[in-house]
Amino acid sequence: MILNIICITLVSLGILFFIGGALGILRFPDYYTRMHAAGKGDTMSILLIFGGIALYQMHEVTVANALVAGKILFIAAFIMLTSPTSTHALMRAGYEEGIRPWTRKTKKGQSDS
Amino acid sequence: MKIIGFIAVCITGWLLLSAINDFPDFGDPHSPANGYRLSQYYITDTFTDTSVPNMVTAVLADYRGYDTLFETVVIFTAGIAIIGILRRYGSSDKSVGRSKAFIEEPRKDLLIHTTCRLLIPIIQLFALYVIAHGHHSPGGGFQGGAIFGASFILLALAHNLKTAEKRMPERRILTLAGVGIFIYAGFGLACLILGNNFLDYSILHKLLPITPIEARSHSMLGVEIGVAFTVTAIMFSIYSNLVSSSRMKEGL
Repeated sequence: MILNIICITLVSLGILFFIGGALGILRFPDYYTRMHAAGKGDTMSILLIFGGIALYQMHEVTVANALVAGKILFIAAFIMLTSPTSTHALMRAGYEEGIRPWTRKTKKGQSDS
Repeated sequence: MKIIGFIAVCITGWLLLSAINDFPDFGDPHSPANGYRLSQYYITDTFTDTSVPNMVTAVLADYRGYDTLFETVVIFTAGIAIIGILRRYGSSDKSVGRSKAFIEEPRKDLLIHTTCRLLIPIIQLFALYVIAHGHHSPGGGFQGGAIFGASFILLALAHNLKTAEKRMPERRILTLAGVGIFIYAGFGLACLILGNNFLDYSILHKLLPITPIEARSHSMLGVEIGVAFTVTAIMFSIYSNLVSSSRMKEGL
């Protein structure tokens, strides 16, 4: 019962972060801020969701369930490693290509997307 | 317009969700797709025939070995065709708009390099696991080979193509691609020489101290290894040809 509540809380929190990330990708003004939302929100939400699922696997504590939970946590760990790195690589590529960061002083005629 | 889009999304989502109930259960032997006598034969007899718990691999590499052999040949042919059409030799430097320093020097990015150093061995180990465990759990030569090839592509992306080319030169790519098919066809030929049909592995128990059923299981592993060789080599070959406008010198 308590385990269920913890799992539901974790997964719901993860979904909340996901929605935040998706909103950020849609609404933020330029490339860098969008990648910021995507990198941070997705990583956090996937950690939370996978943590919740892994915990749910441990309903009955057996070796088989622990193995499945461990594999899920492995996936979470790899995503935690790779997602920020890929965001970083994309950011750097954008910077090297010369995309200007957004500022409030963008002139009226220029589109800021 | 936005409202119409929203309504369309809602209706599609509802349709998809309502279809979930009609799915057969995971691994259900009585689902409509398994209703034919052929499927029932595979479900009931695969393990006694071949001692391989993963019947998908058994069908793929044993019962329909010809199919998979020529699938591998198709991949090999695709790789050879890409090399044959795209590869250009000689040294004209006009094809790339990037500066020479960008091409020559490996990019120094501590974060990406460290992550790749951490991940590439794990990816390759996992690829070997997928290949070697293909007849016990989901996986096999194609999947494992694709993962292994992807690890080389990751190396090329993180450093540059030259670094990956050092690990996997073009000569080695072509050799490995050929060797993979030779391994697969060699298993078939060995069966033929020992007096059975082509790719009928059970006769191979004469070579090793195992039963005919185990021989089928182990031969599947050997065949998967052959497939993995070809897929790995061709994956990286296609990437390096497409990305460097076929000069194998620069690119991403």
